Amino acid sequence: MQKLTSLDHTLLTKSVIKTLAYNNITTVFEFLQQDAEKLSTLTKLNLCQILDIRNNIFTKYSAPLVDGLFLLSKSATKKRYIDIGIESLNVVLGGGIPVGYITELCGLAGSGKTQLGFQLVVNCVRETENTILFIDTKGDFDAVRIQKILDNLGCSHQEMARALFKIKIVQIWTMEELIELFKKLKNKSVNIENLAMIIIDSLPCLMFQHFGDDNKIGLTYMNIFVNYCRYLCKNHDIGVLCINIQTRWVEQDITDYIDGKDQTYVEKQNRCLGKYWQHIPAVIILIERLKLDKPINVRNDGFHVKATVVRSNEIKLEQHCILTVDSLGVR
Amino acid sequence: MSPEFKIFNATELWQKETSLPSIPTFSQKLDYILGSDGIPLGSLTELLGLPGTGKTQMCLQLCAAVQIPKALGGLNAEALFIDTNTNFVLDRFKEILSACLLKCQKLLNLPINANNEEALKKLHYVNAFGLEKFCALMHQLPKLIEENNIRLIVIDSIAFPFKEGISAKQRTGLLFRQMAELQRLAVEKQIAVVLTNEMSTRLGLSSGTVVGSLGDAWAHRCNIRLLLSAPDDPCGDRLALLLKSNIAPEAVAPFKITKEGIRDVN
Repeated sequence: MQKLTSLDHTLLTKSVIKTLAYNNITTVFEFLQQDAEKLSTLTKLNLCQILDIRNNIFTKYSAPLVDGLFLLSKSATKKRYIDIGIESLNVVLGGGIPVGYITELCGLAGSGKTQLGFQLVVNCVRETENTILFIDTKGDFDAVRIQKILDNLGCSHQEMARALFKIKIVQIWTMEELIELFKKLKNKSVNIENLAMIIIDSLPCLMFQHFGDDNKIGLTYMNIFVNYCRYLCKNHDIGVLCINIQTRWVEQDITDYIDGKDQTYVEKQNRCLGKYWQHIPAVIILIERLKLDKPINVRNDGFHVKATVVRSNEIKLEQHCILTVDSLGVR
Repeated sequence: MSPEFKIFNATELWQKETSLPSIPTFSQKLDYILGSDGIPLGSLTELLGLPGTGKTQMCLQLCAAVQIPKALGGLNAEALFIDTNTNFVLDRFKEILSACLLKCQKLLNLPINANNEEALKKLHYVNAFGLEKFCALMHQLPKLIEENNIRLIVIDSIAFPFKEGISAKQRTGLLFRQMAELQRLAVEKQIAVVLTNEMSTRLGLSSGTVVGSLGDAWAHRCNIRLLLSAPDDPCGDRLALLLKSNIAPEAVAPFKITKEGIRDVN
């Protein structure tokens, strides 16, 4: 709730606000709910002045009206995608990680989510002025690994140092802290220059802490977090990449059992973070590990993953590409 | 409440990471596949395996290894062993510890001192049977760490306190809260955390029916997962399979358990 003091209207002097507070009217909402005549008697302002304040509030808080042409010119001049430096994934995503939206990267444990995250960090800061903020919720960030990926790309020591300097890491352990951080990013008391993308690895680690509680605190936090995310995306022109996890559960196929055949089990995969989150990300990249007999062009320690875009704001869906994860990084 | 957020850049973290030692497992092959010359500080490492595959032995070995003097690149620190399942055997630990100290004394050309009383004081043991005791202990942990020079926390096993008296949903919530607190502490004070976990059977999973217990969500939580296995054939090697790591690829290392503790297979 916005306090009346935040309005900064010439007629709302300190003494007027004090009188209103004395009558339990402290927020903008309470002010609007009150009868105008009653307010006039309380504050000793005339009716016109009260209505003027009201109109002022309405103009200040209503969303501005824009036309299509304005939106078009805006989208034409703005950067729409962050190039992630992996050609096949760029194509599937229609250009890269979208700016101004929340993107989700989802997969089972050990499918290479964090590795892909590391690679995106490296690709985005190399050869650009971009800065990346990596929010680490389980101590998974490893600077030595990042340096090795850079080394494998053939960077000189100087290039490596410059790239490492543009990667910012913050360790967050609770949802409260995450929201506090986003608040500070919003009001710019924490300022990061040339910020292009925020990567959160991983969101469920924070949200699961509220799992099984009877109250809905976790959901409240999630909602606040999503709102801050959207504000930052739109107003600071950045992309937000959340790493989410998948869990599996097994269903027994009862019909087959009755027919006297062997029991069959159906494995279902489930994106975590609950129903509310399912529709929040604009783009969802699902990665699964492939079991190939003969990996192609991989070092003996690597594996292939299939990255599928299962949700996107472009029309083409379910496009996929095959990536390679090994000691050199993700390609 | 307004916490100050320390935003590091990767250079600072790189310097920090490269200056820290790890806790060696006494099997060089295993240390090698871990990619960090042993169990890294500030991370959660999970040891998985069926009964009798050497999870507790590995823990005891690490409790001894944390005492390696600084002159040999060790931590010269103390260990906290949280026993939830009466797995700890003092005599076995004394054996492993003596062998470890003897090796260090030989390497440093120190006079051989077979009296291990001082060294035994550097192991702090807690038995936390049951959920209430375990939770109470986790709550006390910051104080315990403050009072001693502890650089290794072993929880053997993490699954045991949660076997009854709690629903699966509450279990996940509680576990993730406790692990967040534990890791915050571990990162702040540069402590290695080693957890052991049992295996459970889930019929119908495409990736094999024997998986670590506590579910798929838990599988994401630990930074390093190491699966131990014992051979069916008594002449075969025990194997350690690195299932998950953010620095090293999946790999297998053979090891053996001798009277002295964990050692390389020749």
